[in-house]
Amino acid sequence: MTHRVDTEHGADAAAAADTSGLRATELTVRFGGNTAVSGISFTAPRGRVTGLIGPNGAGKTTTFNACSGLLAPSAGRVALFGEDVTARGPARRARLGLGRTFQRMELFDTLTVEENVALGREARLAGSHPLRQVVNPPAQRKAVRAATEDALELCMLGQQRRAIAGSLSTGQRRLVDLARVLAGGFSVLLLDEPSSGLDTAETRRFGEIIGRVVAEHGSGVLLVEHDMALVMDICEHIHVLDFGELVFAGTPSEVRSSETVRAAYLGSEAG
Amino acid sequence: MGELAPFLIIGVTSGSVYGLAAMGLVLTYKTSGVFNFAHGAIAAVAAFAFYELHTVRGLPWPVALLLAVVVLPPVVAVGLERVTRGLAGGTVTTKIVATVGLQLAIVSALIAHYGGAGLSFPRFLPTESVGIVGINVGIDQLISAGVAAAAAVAFFVFFRASPTGTRMRAVVDNPELLSLAGTNPVAVRRWAWLIGTWFAAISGVLLAPQIGLDALLLTLLVVQAYGAAAVGLFASLPLTYAGGLLIGVLAALATNLVAGHQWLAQLPPAMPFVVLFVVLLLVPRHKLVEPGAHASPAPVAPLVSPATARALTVAAIAVAAVLPLLVGPRLPVYASALVFVLIFTSLHLLVRISGQISLAHAGLVAIGAATFAHLATGVGLPWLGAVALAGLVVVPVGMIVAVPAIRLAGLFLALATFGFALLLEKVAYPSDWVFGAQGTLPATRPAGFDSDVAFYYVLLAFTVAGLGLVALITRSRLGRLLRALADSPTTLSTLGLGINVTRITVFGLSALIAGVAGALHAAQSHAASATPFSALQSLTWLAVLVLFGPARGAAPVLAALFLVVAPTYGTSDALTDWMPVVFGLGALLVAVHEAGRAQRHAGGSTAQQGEPSRAAERIGAGSAAAERAERAVSRAGDRPGYRISIGTAREGGR
Repeated sequence: MTHRVDTEHGADAAAAADTSGLRATELTVRFGGNTAVSGISFTAPRGRVTGLIGPNGAGKTTTFNACSGLLAPSAGRVALFGEDVTARGPARRARLGLGRTFQRMELFDTLTVEENVALGREARLAGSHPLRQVVNPPAQRKAVRAATEDALELCMLGQQRRAIAGSLSTGQRRLVDLARVLAGGFSVLLLDEPSSGLDTAETRRFGEIIGRVVAEHGSGVLLVEHDMALVMDICEHIHVLDFGELVFAGTPSEVRSSETVRAAYLGSEAG
Repeated sequence: MGELAPFLIIGVTSGSVYGLAAMGLVLTYKTSGVFNFAHGAIAAVAAFAFYELHTVRGLPWPVALLLAVVVLPPVVAVGLERVTRGLAGGTVTTKIVATVGLQLAIVSALIAHYGGAGLSFPRFLPTESVGIVGINVGIDQLISAGVAAAAAVAFFVFFRASPTGTRMRAVVDNPELLSLAGTNPVAVRRWAWLIGTWFAAISGVLLAPQIGLDALLLTLLVVQAYGAAAVGLFASLPLTYAGGLLIGVLAALATNLVAGHQWLAQLPPAMPFVVLFVVLLLVPRHKLVEPGAHASPAPVAPLVSPATARALTVAAIAVAAVLPLLVGPRLPVYASALVFVLIFTSLHLLVRISGQISLAHAGLVAIGAATFAHLATGVGLPWLGAVALAGLVVVPVGMIVAVPAIRLAGLFLALATFGFALLLEKVAYPSDWVFGAQGTLPATRPAGFDSDVAFYYVLLAFTVAGLGLVALITRSRLGRLLRALADSPTTLSTLGLGINVTRITVFGLSALIAGVAGALHAAQSHAASATPFSALQSLTWLAVLVLFGPARGAAPVLAALFLVVAPTYGTSDALTDWMPVVFGLGALLVAVHEAGRAQRHAGGSTAQQGEPSRAAERIGAGSAAAERAERAVSRAGDRPGYRISIGTAREGGR
């Protein structure tokens, strides 16, 4: 899985030591005449938390949607563990190991918390084969149950397991969304504003969970987040987007002292 | 070319009226997010109002016309705007069921009051003909086309030049921006509904003289507008009008083409549905953007506990088992009801459990019925084998219906399936190889079970088995996947599920049950014919099922009892006639109620998140407009929430 293949655009960006995660190359997304994301390249390798920040409307969610296959990019490529997945749908990318959460927490609102979390693993196992979608062999049942229990415990959702997801508070819904993608056992996680709606204690807990997932499973995380304290705390590397363009990339301390980044945010405020 | 000129002229005159109706439909759809299936019914109301005022009450025709076409629509429009506003937060299914219910109520009320047979509509326009390029064209037809074209032109001027028109254009262009732009959405929508209703009313009065005053026919003729709307991709008004002309011309040319080919005779009237189906199947998906698409159903607490539900199930089966002793001569009615329990079960699996929508269900049942009759009586297969094969034959047909479901969701899926249903009805049903040359095929019951009582128990066994199968599916992995599919297909695909496979599977399973139900329907009534399975039946079934939706697993049983058994206990024919009106209005009320719940549910979680714009973060193909809205808003510097973030960054840095 970690075998690397240089993409045609990737050769010159080969300086990055580890590409065995998600790699976007010259990604461009246009909606009609508007360019939402303009030729951005970045990697989100395994074993570290990568930040993607920028003012609202900078194109972060669009980038996520293009990476996870919900949007077809107008140009550029997306590769997962060296395999070009630009033409692949979201389900195929998920089965290759890419998981994501949603800013708007797209839970299965009429299902219980437990069912929601279990589907993180079960949807992947069921895949695209008609028989596998119908037949649930005991071994898979066991694997799903184990993954569900782990994720519920990690996210402290044991008490709510029988609750209907649609009836939960925003903070709890965030955690269900996270637990679901954790149960899936994905190698790269795209987390879209996972801490919005969480209180301080929940945010701290969330930071710990991410730390554990990266440390224990070697997962890679690409994090879109507006809580800068959290971003600075848990990200090793940060990409800054503004108006669809990558304006800066560096370590948290470099981002913190960058005039470009400050201008991007202030410019957005003034504009 | 010279030979084709007459057909072009005929096509343009009728197509102009279709185009006008379609423009009204698209305008209201784009501004309100609700596709009005009752658009044709409104046209019928105007035509009947004219008939009532002029023919029955004796008013001079200009006065009657003024009242029916100019004065009546504003009243209807205000009501429609109010109802559709209530639907705004609902799921696509809710919105469809609401206007389907309204259509059903209006058409049934007109039939109940004026009778089902076509009344002759007063020809108020001059009927002489004039010669144009060597062919005779009725002056009334020319006036019709002229009026429709003038209304269209007047509208385009209004749309381009007036301030209200500009606001409306902005809304049609991007509904998401409506509330952000400081425009009063209610005022713009009310205007849109007013114009839409006027256009429907005008087309109703113009079409009625040509086809007679038949509520059903008038309603379905404005269904031609669906095809025209499809040509405009449900968005462009000029293209929609052009689509109307195109369909008129295609239908006229097809009439010329198929003359002498008996089996193609039904093609011309089916032309709009061919266009609708083809456009929906071929146009790139991103071109078909549904305003306000991504709504989830609000979670509903079960009415009874699982233990009570089990007890009720056992009790219901026990009552069904002793029913032949209790109901005497009414037994065949209850036997039919059992067949309908099975039909509703298959629809329930598709619509309620999986969140899919199909307006072609009656077509599937019909194919099951016809196949069974051919196999059991024609080929002479053993009875049980014929029933099973009838079910299996319908499976691939159900999967064909699912093909649009792979590309399309919600409204466009519903329209594609409705197009398919109308094609079946217009082209397949009348042909010899479906229901035979006589239009009806004999169907048998199994040997030894010919009596009504014995066959009742056969039906009961099938029904219990069908309900059991669906209950099993619900509890299985597939059931979990289907319920999740109903809530959020996009999320499910990002978790790794091939949702198209899931969709095809559920359409196939649903079709299997529908096909078996069709076979049993034929056996129960000793015959298979097209009459019980019109495309309109699909709409009725959906409305009735949704009416009992809150009853969850019991919904198919209650729906069947209500649809089949309840009317037979009516003491007068009037009651039976007005029953569908109750179904329609009931479905509308349930839909409005559910939309309200969904809106409160979504509103609650939005408020908790403190997000200023729901439009800003939608997922999937429909998100382009939302994305634009988000960018437009953020460029305008209108979102204070994120200003804080750099401050936090600085704090974090210290």
